[in-house]
Amino acid sequence: MLFNSINFFIFLPIVFLLYWFVTNKKLVFQNGLLLVSSFFFYACWDWRFLFLLMFSILLDYITGIKMGDAKSKPEKKFWFWLSIIVNVGFLGVFKYYNFFAESLAESLSAIGLQTNFWTLKVILPVGISFYTFHGLSYVIDIYYDRIKPEKNFIDYAVFVSFFPLLVAGPIERATHLLPQIKKERKFDYNQAVVGLRQILWGLFKKVVIADSCAHFANMFFDDPTQYSGSALVLGALFFTFQIYGDFSGYSDIALGTAKLFGIDLLRNFAFPYFSRDIAEFWRRWHISLSSWFKDYLYIPLGGSKGGLWMKVRNTFIIFLVSGFWHGANWTFIVWGLLNAIYIMPSIIFNTNRNNIEIVAKGKLFPTFSELFSIVITFGLTVIAWIFFRAKSVSDALLYLKGIFSTSLFKVPVFIGRTDAIVTIILVLFFLVMEWRWREQQFALETIGINWKRPLRWAFYSGLICLILMYMHTEETPFIYFQF
Amino acid sequence: MKNRIIFFLGSLMKFIAFTAFVYVVFIIGFGLFMPKVLSKNLSYKRGSNGHLFSRVNEINEYKNVDVLFLGSSHAYRGFDPRIFQKHGLKTFNLGSSAQTPIQTELLLNRYLDKLKPKLVVYEVYPGTFALDGVESALDIISNDENDSETIKMALELNNIKVYNTMIYGFFRDIFHLNKNYKEKIVKKYDTYVKGGFVERNSLYFKGFKSLKNKSDWEFKVEQFDAFKRNLDKLKAMNISYVLVQAPITSQLYKSHTNNEYFDNKMKTYGKYYNFNGKLNLVDSLHFYDEHHLNQKGVELFDDFLLKELPVLNKK
Repeated sequence: MLFNSINFFIFLPIVFLLYWFVTNKKLVFQNGLLLVSSFFFYACWDWRFLFLLMFSILLDYITGIKMGDAKSKPEKKFWFWLSIIVNVGFLGVFKYYNFFAESLAESLSAIGLQTNFWTLKVILPVGISFYTFHGLSYVIDIYYDRIKPEKNFIDYAVFVSFFPLLVAGPIERATHLLPQIKKERKFDYNQAVVGLRQILWGLFKKVVIADSCAHFANMFFDDPTQYSGSALVLGALFFTFQIYGDFSGYSDIALGTAKLFGIDLLRNFAFPYFSRDIAEFWRRWHISLSSWFKDYLYIPLGGSKGGLWMKVRNTFIIFLVSGFWHGANWTFIVWGLLNAIYIMPSIIFNTNRNNIEIVAKGKLFPTFSELFSIVITFGLTVIAWIFFRAKSVSDALLYLKGIFSTSLFKVPVFIGRTDAIVTIILVLFFLVMEWRWREQQFALETIGINWKRPLRWAFYSGLICLILMYMHTEETPFIYFQF
Repeated sequence: MKNRIIFFLGSLMKFIAFTAFVYVVFIIGFGLFMPKVLSKNLSYKRGSNGHLFSRVNEINEYKNVDVLFLGSSHAYRGFDPRIFQKHGLKTFNLGSSAQTPIQTELLLNRYLDKLKPKLVVYEVYPGTFALDGVESALDIISNDENDSETIKMALELNNIKVYNTMIYGFFRDIFHLNKNYKEKIVKKYDTYVKGGFVERNSLYFKGFKSLKNKSDWEFKVEQFDAFKRNLDKLKAMNISYVLVQAPITSQLYKSHTNNEYFDNKMKTYGKYYNFNGKLNLVDSLHFYDEHHLNQKGVELFDDFLLKELPVLNKK
């Protein structure tokens, strides 16, 4: 069930009404309803993988309790490693087995050894990377005594499988979400209204910006040899806005939906394309994953405590792992590597925390130097996205070669230029909105709250009309579902 | 707390009603004042390619026809009423661009009682069973009077472009904004011929620029469901029918690998004739593009059809 489908807009009100009108008497009923709804939501993709999700939940629930009850350190360690190995093992089999088998076969054949590895026709269970990371963070936190194990199975299962975040995050932490699940929830009118606004903005990002850009990005990336350098630049820009609109749109819908149930999820995006350096970009892009890697990989590896060399090494490790987390393809690893290289100067010169606040806070326009930094950071990001989007590293290099050619300065020629211009106008509108309200949690958070009702409603209705006029007519899955 | 939720739901309902009103005004405004290139999900083209406007306006002149042709552009560019008239058959061609069974259903519900044909020649091109039907729906909404059948079709297609265009179509119909519209009989290479046919002369298919990749038709279940309903309607009214696959260029025909599956499926629905490969048609001589016969091809095809189909030979 996609967030941008009719099915979801039937499912959501039903769950909402049951949640606040039928199961509101007792928390256990509300959580029970959330669990059943989340399992139903997940089963709509492929009911067979529901068992995998249930197994993952059960495994971490039991190992969590066992760790809490452990009488000795080795016993605790045993349960900890059991959970880690099984979780990572499942992820490895479903997501990476074929990649390793094929890569090894290719390497061996390059040195003249012919091998016939057994490759599996594995379908990637949707959301496996996300719910596995939920479980891992929970188990690691218990192991390091940061939290107590959750005894209530339903509460724990809701923490892992709460439907707004189940298939593409944000990757939640037990310390943040579990207390909200355990606490009685009261309907908050303002929170619900903000939730609806966030859903609306998320939909605009997804079905108008991302899906419209996707059409052109696909066209250019499918056969880059057909287009001039200038057209390929456009293609890369279209993908840059596609992936942002798609993923941050998803996150907005997830956060907005959770608000309707009185739950606040972690923020996942904070206007990343207005970043002044790559370190800032990574504090603003897919925040829940970046912070996960920081807390559960970078810091345990020693973080920045062991001097410059360790900082450099650990930074490379988390970016490579982060790339690999996105998928079993060398393109993602190169993408991670590129970002590690981009961030290196600020790691070496210790300038990675120079830009913490949003750019030009309290001002309408940035200074020239801020604008220059934004443009450079954005440009580097666009180049990295080419590797992320291309089917293979050689395709990405071919794409880059196409850009850096004499045709870079030609007027781009391609089918559908008029539609492309309309898409560019929409992207510009979107950027203006995001820039103007960049100090909020999301662009639409406070627009119109002080306006008179007819004007406020007209604004939001107008936005809905824009969506209905410019949305992509086919339901398109979110990019991050494949991760 | 309950009061707060009820207040929230009440406000939401009011907002939805308000938005519905704004939406209708927005669509009408866009249709009237915005350039077409900016109206991505509103596609109202009166007098579009295929002369559907002229065709449906002519229907009132016809009733109790001998043969009614249904189907896609292969139908309205393939069955020439003049040729059938020479054999004493009064025909009407109700084909329309990319007409899928869902649109055929709408047209049958609207016009079958009026036309009361003795025989229906239903042109079945596999491609129309693989389409969503949006293109054809937009054509019909823009060129025919809208009624409850339009709403039924829109709900079945469930596509925002169809909904938007339908709203604008109803607005134009209600305020008679099309009453002075006259469609040109001759448009560039096309000439509209009374009885629903569109003639194209003196053009020849030059072949594909590159070799076409072979692929399977990916049929849509909902199109077959609508198709079955159409045939059931004909049966219920005791109207006999034949299913005909009109010839297309051999290059295009061979580019699909599941033609046999389609043929076998069609045979289960009734008398079915696939004319691909049956006539000695040459892609570069008898077609003007990969899909459509030129007039020379049409004459050969219709003569062959009259010989091959015993039901047409009765007169």
